[in-house]
Amino acid sequence: MTEVINPAAAPAQPIPPRTKPSRTRLGSPIAWIGLVVLIAAWIASVQVFNIPSYILPRPEAVVRALWSGLAVSPTSSLGYYLPLWGTLSNAAIGFAIGVALGLVIGSLMAEVPAIERLVMPYAFALQSLPKVAIAPLVVIWFGFGDGSKIAISALLSFFPVLINSFTGLRAVEPERLDLMRSLSATRFETYRIVKLPNAAPFIFAGLDMAVVYALLGAIVAEFLGAQRGMGVVITQAQAVSDVAGVFAALVILGMLGIVLHAIVRWTEARVVHWSANRNK
Amino acid sequence: MMVTTARPALRHNAGTDAAALIRIGDVSKTYVSASGAAVHALNRVSLDIRQGEFVCVVGPSGCGKSTLLRLLAGLDTHSEGQLLLGGEPVVGPSRKVGVVFQAANLLPWMNVRENVRLPLRVGGVPAPADDRIDRLLAVTGLKDFGDKYPYELSGGMQQRAGICRALARDPEILLMDEPFGALDALTRERLNLELQRIWQENHKTIMLITHSISEAIFLADRVIVMSARPGRILADLDIAIPRPRTFDEIVLHPEYPKLAREIRGLLNAQENLHD
Repeated sequence: MTEVINPAAAPAQPIPPRTKPSRTRLGSPIAWIGLVVLIAAWIASVQVFNIPSYILPRPEAVVRALWSGLAVSPTSSLGYYLPLWGTLSNAAIGFAIGVALGLVIGSLMAEVPAIERLVMPYAFALQSLPKVAIAPLVVIWFGFGDGSKIAISALLSFFPVLINSFTGLRAVEPERLDLMRSLSATRFETYRIVKLPNAAPFIFAGLDMAVVYALLGAIVAEFLGAQRGMGVVITQAQAVSDVAGVFAALVILGMLGIVLHAIVRWTEARVVHWSANRNK
Repeated sequence: MMVTTARPALRHNAGTDAAALIRIGDVSKTYVSASGAAVHALNRVSLDIRQGEFVCVVGPSGCGKSTLLRLLAGLDTHSEGQLLLGGEPVVGPSRKVGVVFQAANLLPWMNVRENVRLPLRVGGVPAPADDRIDRLLAVTGLKDFGDKYPYELSGGMQQRAGICRALARDPEILLMDEPFGALDALTRERLNLELQRIWQENHKTIMLITHSISEAIFLADRVIVMSARPGRILADLDIAIPRPRTFDEIVLHPEYPKLAREIRGLLNAQENLHD
């Protein structure tokens, strides 16, 4: 759950793009060893230290809860599928809005110094504000429906894309700008042909963060009040002290985060194909 | 030896050469450095280059030879003097000019063909047929590499593509800024040979900046030797060695050692000034 704290406290530092996409952490055998050790420690602490199941449920109980949520009809109100779809669709719409705004405003800031001076101080001020703390306000404005979930997802995914696209668009080699100038290229041609592809590794690093933040935003908004979603699944399980149910929902969300992250990396490897091979 | 250097300089800079395609008249360039100090990059440089001439510029590091090239390319503005291309003042980048940059400067997200076609996609140039790109790729030995990305190419291949791109708009003038400086000696000689052939076949006017004395003598009709900053022209040497030249033959030509010694002497004197 450290991820809940991170976006609120994260400094507005751009994340430098990876020079070389490493293998997904899941692909490494060491990652699997870590998982086995973690589960072994979990079983051991429950068995040996007799930790009560309302604090730390037994792994079997979590697996059972997972099974009861997964082994049902996709349209069943008892399964994970409907809440998952609700959370995911809101997070996706929020992500799309946040990314689009981040790209457009980041581009305007990189291209027009006056806009940079106008927006940058407020962007940093807003970034240093724990945005999760704004969530109750957003719920007042947008209500308990999908609107507030989308708005918070968009707000959280906006910043990493804004800062990273701005930084990436500014990080162009002067020789490449000279080339475009020597060809009398228009400003938009230079942006489209040189600056934007050049910024792509930065932008993808931003997207990688934004996709997880979007999911986080939707869940936080659901905690504050919602009719559906994984956040509701968690609060309902909590209300009846079903700790195994809470754990099961967290496992689902963790897997979802990994899948979303993998989708971004997969897309990056195809779009920014030259970056991985640059140092060959 | 030093005395003879002034002679050709006077002839070329008489200022009445009607055939001059490039005219640099008393051009000075002063810019303000990051620390706020005024830097005199060029000091009253005068040089006429005729249509079809191949001129190499050599000089110590930081002597303003790249600045001179940037002024002609319209990438920078001069402080004083007159700068004419085909009789017209330089006010910015011109269609008449193709620039070959150091280390090729290809865009890594485009394949070779797209890189070479770039000058035909931007700046409002009406796009000609594809066969022009095919011909250019064939001329520079890149016919089978059109679909490769720059990172899949050797340094020499990349610079071939860079030259190809500079030729895409069929400019009258090629400006080349130390184009082969990053290449190994053998690749460099091979590209020098190819450049000579391309120049002879296409009748371009070329100004090439280099650190290499042998490259300058091999390629040039005239070698311009520049002083340390603020850059002035120290010598303007005619290279009266018949073409096509080869590296094997040129070193046997009686003029070659004399020219090399003269240029080296002038450059060494400049380096000593610095020390």
